This record gives sequence, structure tokens and C-alpha cells, in this order.
Amino acid sequence: MSTKEETPAADGDKPQTSSWKDSIYNPRTGEFIGRTAKSWALILLFYLVFYGFLAGMFTLTMWVMLQTLDDNIPTYRDRVASPGLVIRPRSLDIVFNRTDPKQYGQYVQHLENFLQQYNDTVQEKNELCMVGEYYEQDDQEEKKVCQFKRNLLRQCSGLSDTTFGYAEGKPCVLVKMNRIIGLKPRGDPYINCTAKRESPLQMQYFPSEGRFDKMYFPYYGKNLHSTYVQPLVAVKLLLTKEDYNNELTMECKIEGSDLRNSDDRDKFLGRVTFRVKVVE
Amino acid sequence: MFEMNGEVDVKMKKKKKIKKKDRLEGMKKEMDIVSVIHKTRRRESWREYGLTSSKAAEVLERDGPNELLPPKGTPEYVKFARQLAGGLQCLMWVAAVICFIAFGIEFSRGTLGCFDDLYLAITLITVVVVTGCFGYYQEFKSTNIIASFKNLVPQQALVIRDGQKNQINAMDLVVGDLVEIKGGDRVPADIRIIFAQGCKVDNSSLTGESEPQSKTPECTHENPLETKNIAFFSTTCLEGVATGTVINTGDRTIIGRIASLASGVGNEKTPIAIEIEHFVDIIAGLAIFFGFTFFVVAMFIGYAFLEAMIFFMAIVVAYVPEGLLATVTVCLSLTAKRLARKNCVVKNLEAVETLGSTSVICSDKTGTLTQNRMTVAHLWFDNVIHAADTTEDQSGQSFDQSSETWRSLARVAGLCNRAIFKPNQESLPIPRRIVVGDASETALLKFTELAIGNMMEYRERFKKVVEVPFNSTNKNTLMLSVHELEDPMDLRYLLVMKGAPERILERCSTILIKGQEMPLEEQWREAFQTAYMDLGSLGERVLGFCHIYLNENEFPRGYKFDSDEMNFTTSGLCFAGLISMIDPPRATVPDAVMKCRTAGIRVVMVTGDHPITARAIAANVGIITEGSETVEDIATRKRIPVEQVNRRDARACVISGGQLKDMSSEELDEALRSHPEMVFARTSPQPPSSPPLIIVESCQRLGSIVAVTGDGVNDSPALKKADIGIAMGIAGSDAAKNAADMILLDDNFASIVTGVEQGRLIFDNLKKSIAYTLTKNIPELTPYLIYITVSVPLPLGCITILMIELATDIFPSVSLAYEKAESDIMHLKPRNPRKDRLVNESLAAYSYFQIGAIQSFAGFTDYFTAMAQEGWYPLLCVGLRSHWENVHLQDLQDSYGQEWTYAQRLYQQYTCYTVFFISIEICQIADVLIRKTRRLSIFQQGFFRNKVLVSAIVFQLLLGNLLCYCPGMPNIFNFMPIRGQWWFVPIPYGILIFVYDEIRKLGVRRHPGSWWDQELYY
Repeated sequence: MSTKEETPAADGDKPQTSSWKDSIYNPRTGEFIGRTAKSWALILLFYLVFYGFLAGMFTLTMWVMLQTLDDNIPTYRDRVASPGLVIRPRSLDIVFNRTDPKQYGQYVQHLENFLQQYNDTVQEKNELCMVGEYYEQDDQEEKKVCQFKRNLLRQCSGLSDTTFGYAEGKPCVLVKMNRIIGLKPRGDPYINCTAKRESPLQMQYFPSEGRFDKMYFPYYGKNLHSTYVQPLVAVKLLLTKEDYNNELTMECKIEGSDLRNSDDRDKFLGRVTFRVKVVE
Repeated sequence: MFEMNGEVDVKMKKKKKIKKKDRLEGMKKEMDIVSVIHKTRRRESWREYGLTSSKAAEVLERDGPNELLPPKGTPEYVKFARQLAGGLQCLMWVAAVICFIAFGIEFSRGTLGCFDDLYLAITLITVVVVTGCFGYYQEFKSTNIIASFKNLVPQQALVIRDGQKNQINAMDLVVGDLVEIKGGDRVPADIRIIFAQGCKVDNSSLTGESEPQSKTPECTHENPLETKNIAFFSTTCLEGVATGTVINTGDRTIIGRIASLASGVGNEKTPIAIEIEHFVDIIAGLAIFFGFTFFVVAMFIGYAFLEAMIFFMAIVVAYVPEGLLATVTVCLSLTAKRLARKNCVVKNLEAVETLGSTSVICSDKTGTLTQNRMTVAHLWFDNVIHAADTTEDQSGQSFDQSSETWRSLARVAGLCNRAIFKPNQESLPIPRRIVVGDASETALLKFTELAIGNMMEYRERFKKVVEVPFNSTNKNTLMLSVHELEDPMDLRYLLVMKGAPERILERCSTILIKGQEMPLEEQWREAFQTAYMDLGSLGERVLGFCHIYLNENEFPRGYKFDSDEMNFTTSGLCFAGLISMIDPPRATVPDAVMKCRTAGIRVVMVTGDHPITARAIAANVGIITEGSETVEDIATRKRIPVEQVNRRDARACVISGGQLKDMSSEELDEALRSHPEMVFARTSPQPPSSPPLIIVESCQRLGSIVAVTGDGVNDSPALKKADIGIAMGIAGSDAAKNAADMILLDDNFASIVTGVEQGRLIFDNLKKSIAYTLTKNIPELTPYLIYITVSVPLPLGCITILMIELATDIFPSVSLAYEKAESDIMHLKPRNPRKDRLVNESLAAYSYFQIGAIQSFAGFTDYFTAMAQEGWYPLLCVGLRSHWENVHLQDLQDSYGQEWTYAQRLYQQYTCYTVFFISIEICQIADVLIRKTRRLSIFQQGFFRNKVLVSAIVFQLLLGNLLCYCPGMPNIFNFMPIRGQWWFVPIPYGILIFVYDEIRKLGVRRHPGSWWDQELYY
């Protein structure tokens, strides 16, 4: 039956007027995209109230959730149970010509910048802690930081050799362990680097044997421990003439402790692999 | 734009129509030519010799076997390919290709994690292929159901070749063959009769006429369909014998032509297919729109081209409801299964819903509305009309049988009857036994068998001496027989006679009243006239019965009665009574028609029978309601000429085939529009004007969704043309079944009503199911939008989305198909296919912008909670993306100063995926609960009444747990074992969804028609 009413209306009265323009604005009914102004106002008001309420509820739940968080310790630390290893300079491909300061300049600059926080002027404010013991200060209001002076890194400190050995073709690489709140590595963690080739590569570790001292653990978080500096291990690769122009793959691992260093999925958990190529 | 489309459409249709007409007319001409040719050829096989075997083989070589070739199906690979190339599927193909490209580029660059793209591409392709296989399997299965109907027993034909009679396979018949047919045979080809003896043919499979047609060698009409000397392939010979030459075989027979006509009629798209296409278009359009917009935004913000492409792909994956097609198919097949249990087999799944939106049913009378067997309906004796029991199982009331007149009438009816039961059927109930004989004699035999008892034995007692049968050639409308009496002492002969009532009355001089012979006075003649008219107006076939005891002296024992000479008394008989017969309606039909009426469905009757019979049956089953008048009725009542009657006053209208032929299509539309109760009678089966086809087309022009029931080959074009063609499983011809979308196994009209109910229910439930499925697309999409614009670490991954779409949410969305109806759906009008869409604006808006929005908020709350509790405060997350995803950054600091490697961050990201997933799941549980009803409160509908839904929720939770906590999941599907409390974070939002929807429903119920109802009821 409905067709009876519709057909004459569509064909008879105004055959030309119903065009596609009407679907955007229909002057006869005053409809804009299928709704009148009043209808639009109502529906927009409805959605305004609706989303307003939702946003309010979202804000409330977020606020409640944030209230439950501790400022100093994350609720869970299971995703970062074991620390990753990172090297400085921040590059996994260290390629340079030892005769061209422009090429190694960026590495040197980077190392120099990185070591600023280990300057004596900064570190002298920090505590001298007991070697070989965790520096636990759970009950203290203000957490103190153990001293790690730049000169502990000797030839790699950039103090005596401002080019960190890059100019002489025996570059230094700093190995750093990721900060994890509350981490207390058992055993005696030290860094061991190996070159992936048949004959072993001569290396020097600073501090000696590449040890991370226990006194730098545990870490109490950004808030309480704002001036904390991580212990570093510098590795000086004693490259010889034969090694130049060859790419060398190095792997550094943390060993001698319970820290994981052989995870299948995470290639940076307790270990780091990088390549070095010195051109002459 | 729409206007233009409309015009083009109309033009196209017109063109099509012209073509069809041309073809039809061409066909008719061809037919005439064929019959002329065969007149000349007749000498070849005449003279009882037939064709020589070699000649027959030659012709067989030329013409091919005599069988109807099944209509050329679409090749299987095309069917399968079609399943893979829908709107959504195409979009997913595009997404898969982008994934492959991205994988290729990233792989060549050696980027970590590029295999994700490869897996995603493979998953997408798998989804498309598996869904396609499922759809294909469904289609294949229903095709198989049809194939099983085919009669595999080869038909035999008695052919005369080389002067010898041979029983051969009907397939091997050729033009020119001489064949013999006898009662009970199927006519093996189109045959011109050259010799016939009392041959009657049932043409109902071809024309729908239930009346048997006698066949004689005379050519009585130029139209091959009307002439008496041609018998058609696939019709049945009821009695007598005939010999004829084959004039057409195989697809060239009339029935073959009609069948091929059916395959020429385009199959209309089902309404549900239109609906699904409609909204798939919208979704695909929106997906591309969103994808493209954010592609541009991403490019603008400064992402690389490849990254932007991957965003585009991810948005497509997030936005396209991958599981939807499978859900729809499963829901429909569940209903199809349910219907099959109720004797409706659905060939085309989508037809399930079509039945629900049907607004007109064009029903064949014979066999669908009626029982398809003549039954004694009324008797007139002792000046009273008695009603007989016409129910199928003889459960009705019987009349008073104590009168002496009744005994005489029954005796005449029983004796003057040539029909006999086929032997060995004693165990069957009488109405079901097979009888050899014509319809009215069969009816009388069964009636007397029921009333008196064993008729075969009864006839033995009254030994038949002579009989003069009906003979249509010499217009003898009477049948008489002479019997000895059962009492051996009584030596009189009894002459019994039946026939057209007025002719019987002419020969009578007395009438039996209460067992007494009374002179046939004027008063009785008037009473007879009244009764005869009354019964005639009921559309019943009336027969008169009379008898006489022949004078013992004039006709002693051993008298030679001669049936040709008629050397005995045939006048001055004693009138016993009238018996009227009708093909009575099935018991369940009036109720079913009533239900259709309350459901707003018009039932139009189309029949080959006489208009009066048609009208009587229509009135009987309620197609024409009490008090409805036709134009003619009004004219008679008001005593004015038919032309002066206002046509709109007449509710009912009976149109005969002749009138229909003369009507223009506009007139027919007008008639269908102005008379709600329509009956089309005496529709001739002539192919060029196939009446059901015209009627269907007219209804469709008026915007109705038309269901057509039919069984004959002549119905197949209309079955095909109809939105849903329903063929009869028992009486239906293969051609009809092939053309139909649905088959009624029990031939019962009432099953259609069940189908309508199920169809409407599935439409409602599909709506709910789709609303449920669409909702989660928003919480799947928003993470990407936020990720791109606000640069937080990605909250939800593509694989997780696919897990939601294809694993956890499939079962709940299917379980909504088991939901009971909210209201009495059979009291509503059929949906208006233009206005009541499956997916309408308010459904989309409510799902996307309201429930979907709440779900998104739930997801983000849980996401930020999981991030914050692991050390990443919400504000830090904003803008973190580039650092977070930097593969070379192995010491990214969180809010507490801890340093994370890339892999540690990645697992944290997987944790986020998982909590977002869990949030969507929790909200979807609330969602499936609210989708149970659209209007009623869930407390009214019952929480646990839908057991399937409850188990679906349990299943969903179990699957969610499995994905989260099964070892190995992090690296396969990127699911992490998450902390228990993160399951509870989204619960407030779940409760909000539930409460909000209850408020919505309350508003909809309390204030129908209000702004709230209009905007929020879907």
C-alpha cells in the first residue's frame, strides 16, 4: 500500500527537485544531512552529556587508580626482573678512521658528555661506601649515592687520553647495566667481553676485572635516589695493525652472578653485541 | 542520483521483458511449425510397424536422449570464487596484500618483528578462505538435498519398432516412435494420439488442472495445449489405452520448454542478501574512509609512507567485522535446520529470512490448500442436505445414516461405480488406499467403503450384468449398470444410474423419501433445484443417483442386455438423492490462513479450477473472509449493473484466466491494490502468458515480497521469479523443485506459517547478532586512532583483534540466534523492506557511538592501569611511541627511573594487548546480555532462559583464560598471563553498559514515539 502514496509524490509533484544535493541540505524540510537544526542540536546535546559522563567516569577511575600507586616503587617489577646491558657510545656499529678526528669525534664527544655526571666535582658530594657490600638504606628518609669517580676508568676516563684511545686505534667502550629498582645481584658480577673470532683479542677492563661493585646496589628509584649514578665498566680494545680494516664482532656479558645473560628472545638481557671497525 | 538509477533500472527491466516476450512468442510459432511437420511425418511410423531400429538409432544420434537436461549450473569453481569475492572479503584481500608488501619491505631491511605482518597476512587469507569454504559447504549441502529428490529409477516405455513391441528406456525414445500408453503410465514424450480407447490423462503436473482430460485422435483445436490429440511428456495416463507417435522429445517437449523458460527468468536477490550487501557496503566504505583519513593524518604528522600503509591495513583489520559473515551464515543455517525439522527444506539459506518478510503468498490451490483428492462433501436425500466428513483422518462428525433412503443411495453409489482398490492394501486406512478410477468414482468408492464396508465383496453380492459407462465422445453424461439382487429368491434385476443431476431427474418419475417411493411432484422438483443450486454454489461437483427394479416378467433371468442397443428401461426411475464432491481443504489450512492474516500477509489463490469452485474453497479456508463481497455480489445484491458498482467497495475479487489475459499490467496492479482478497481461477498454462508469473510480477511492482507455492512444471517460472519459491515435496515436479528456494516436505500450507515465524525471528535475532558483532569494532579501532594521534604505545594488536573477531566472540553472537521472540511476532505486519532495514542508522549509532564508546573507555582504563602499575604513568605514555618502538634503544626510562630493554617493553606491550582484550571481553559479556532484548527488560526476558547463550558466555571466558594463561601464548598470539585484578578493572564499565541499556529500554517502553524511542530504538 505504501507504494501508492510514495509513487505520485516522487514522480508527479516535483520530479527534478529531489537531487543528491537534498541529501546534504534539503531546503523544503530544512534538513541538513538528514536532520533538522533542532534535531541536530538535540542529538549533539545528548552526545555531549553522554561523553561528558563517560569522560568523567574515566577520569574518576584513572584518579582512583593513580591513588593506589606508590610514588617510589612501581607496583610490579616482574617485567624488568633482570637488567639489560647497554654500551656507550650509543651505537652498535663503531666504525671510524683513527687518523680522521672528524669521524671519531662524535664518539668521543658522546663519551665525554656521558661521563660529565661522573666528574669529581659531582662525585665528591657522594658517599664513600664499603667496598663489596650492598649499600642498603631502606629505613633512611634520604637515600645516599655511592661515589663512582671518573678516574676509576683510568685510560678510558678521558682524563689522560681525551680521545678515549680512538686516535691510537685502541677504542674504549663503556658498558653500563640498566637501572632496576631494588636489584641486588648475587655473587660477584663482572663484565666479560669476547671477540667473535678464532684468536683472542687483547682487552683491558677498568675497574680491574670489569667488576661492578655491590655497593652501587640497590637502586631506590628516580624520586628518592635522584643523583644515583650507575657503576660502569670500560673495555679498552687493544687492536693491533692486523685488526684494522676488519670488522670485529664483540659480545659483552655479565657473568659471575645470578643475572640472566642468555635469554633467547631478549638479546640485550645481561649481554650486548656490537661491531667495531677501525680504518687506517 | 537515486532518480537516475531508478530510470536506468526501469529501462533495463523493460528491455529484459521485451526480450522475454520475443522469445516466448518465437517459441509458440516454433511449436506450431513442429506440429505441422509431424502431420506429414505420420506415415513413416504408421501401420503398426513403427520405426526401424536403425532409423531410431539415427534419430537418437541427431536429437539426443529423451530427457530433460538439468539447467546448466554455475561451475563449482565459480561458486567457490564467488564466496571469496564479497565486499568484506575484497577488503580483507587488500589488507592481506598490504601486509605482504610491508613484510617484503621490512624483511629486506632486516627489521625485527616483521614476521608479524606475514602471520597477519596469512591469518587474513585463512579467514577469507575458511569463511568461503563454510559458505560453499552450506550451498553444496542444500544442493545435495535437492539432488536426492531426483527419481533415479529409469522410466520405461512400450515402443513399437520393426513391428515388434519392446519395453525400452524412455530415454531412448526418438521422434517418430510409435508408443503405447495405458492407465497408470507416465507419458514418456510429447505424443500425438492416433488411437485411443477411454484414455484419460492427468495434466496437473503441467497445467495445475486437477480435472482429467480425455485424449482422442481428433484434432479439436489449433493450440497444441488445448487439442485433444496430443498428450504431454510427464503427464500421467489415468485410465484407458492409447497409441501415438512421438512428436517431441527431451528439452523440445512442452514441459522442457517451460522448464527452460524458468531458467531464463532471473533469480531475484533475496531481501536479506540486499540487507547484508547494504550494510557491508557501508562498513567497507567506512573502513576505507577511516583508513584513508588516518593514512593522510599519519603522513601529515610525519610518519613514513610504509608506516602509514601499515596503519591503513591495521585500521581495516580493526574495523572490518571478520567474523560477521560466518555468524550470519551459521545463524541462517541453524534456522534452516530448525525448519527442516518442521518439514521445510531450504535450498538457499537466505530464503529463511525472505519468508519472514513475505507480504504476499500466491498459493496454488490443488494439493497445497486442498488435500488433492475428491471427497464426498454433501448428500441430499429425504429433502435434507447432509454434510459428510471431509477431514483427512475421518475424525469429523458423520450424518445420520438410519434412513432407508440413505441405504438405497449408498447402494446406487457403490454399484454404479467402476473404480476398484488396488489389491493388498487392507492394512492401510481407507482414505490412503490407492484406487484405479477417476476422481469422482474414487471419492464415491472410498465414501461407500467407509459407510457400508467392504465394497468389493458387496459388489460380488450384486452381480453386475451389464454396464454403460460415461462416454465423453457421444456426450453421454450418464452411467448405468444392471445388477442381480443379493437375495437369490428375488429374481428382479436392479438398474442403477448416476450422472448429471438434471439429466437424472429427467428420467425419474418417483423419488425416495424416508424409504418410501413418492411420485415426483412439483414440490420435490423445486426442492431438488434448490439443493442442486446450493451444492453447486459451494463449488462442488454434484451427481444425481437413481435406480429401478426392472420388471421380473419383462426382464427375466438370462435376458440379454445390450449396452449399445439399450434394450431396457431407462426412464421412469426412482430418484435416490444427490451426492456432491469437492477436493476439500486441508484441516490445518484455515487456521494457517488466519495466522497469515493476523501477520499481515495476504494470501492470493491461483488455480486452474473453475471460478465457483475456486471461490468456494477460498471462502472455506478464509482467503475470502465472511462478509466479503465481489463486485458481482454487490451488483446482485443492489440489483444494479456490474459497471455501476464502486470497485473499491468490493473486498474480494475473483479473476479468471480469460479476464487476466485481457488485462493490462496497470489494470492488474490496480485490481491487486483495491481488492485485498484475490482469487485467480481457471488460469491457463499457456507459456506466453504464464498467469502466476504475471501475478508475481504485479505484486512485486507494488513493492510486496512475494512467496509462491507450486508443484507443476508450469509453476516453475513463477517460483523462480518470486522472492521465495516454495515447491511441494510430495506432489512437486523436479522442475518446480529446481526452481524453488524452499521445499515443503509435507505439502502442507501450514508449514509455511511456521516458516514465516522462523523467518521473522531470525531477522530480529540477526539484528541483535549484528549489533553485538559491530559494537566491538569501535574498541578495536580506537586504540589505533589514539596510537596514531597521541603516540601512546600500541594498546591492541592486529592478531589480538582477530582472536576477538574469530574466536571468542563467534559463539556468543551465534547464540543470539537461539533467543526467543520478544513479542508475538506473528501479530505484526511484515517488515517494509524499504524502511525496516536490518542495520539501520540508530543500530549503528547505538552500537558504535554509545556501547562501543563505553567499551573503548573500559579498554583504555585497563590499559593505563596495566601500564601505570608496571611503571609507566599515563602522562609519560603520551608521545612515547617513537622511543618505545625504537629497536636500538635498550635503556628507556620509565616513570620510576628503571631502564627497559626493547624486548622487555615488547612484552609489556603484549600485556597491554591482553588487558585490552580482556576489557573488550568483559564488556562484550555485558553486551551480549543487553542484546538479548531490544525493547523488553532483560528481567522480563529471563537471564538464563537461553541456555546456549549462557554456555557461550562460559565458553568465551574459558577461551579468554586459555589465551591468557596457556604457556607459549606470548610468542604465538602475543597474549601474556595477566594479573587477576586487571580482569576486574573493566567491570564497572560492564555494569554501566547493562544499566544504561536497561534505562534505554525503559524509556523506549514507557514513551513510544518519543525522541528517545526514535533515536535509541534500533
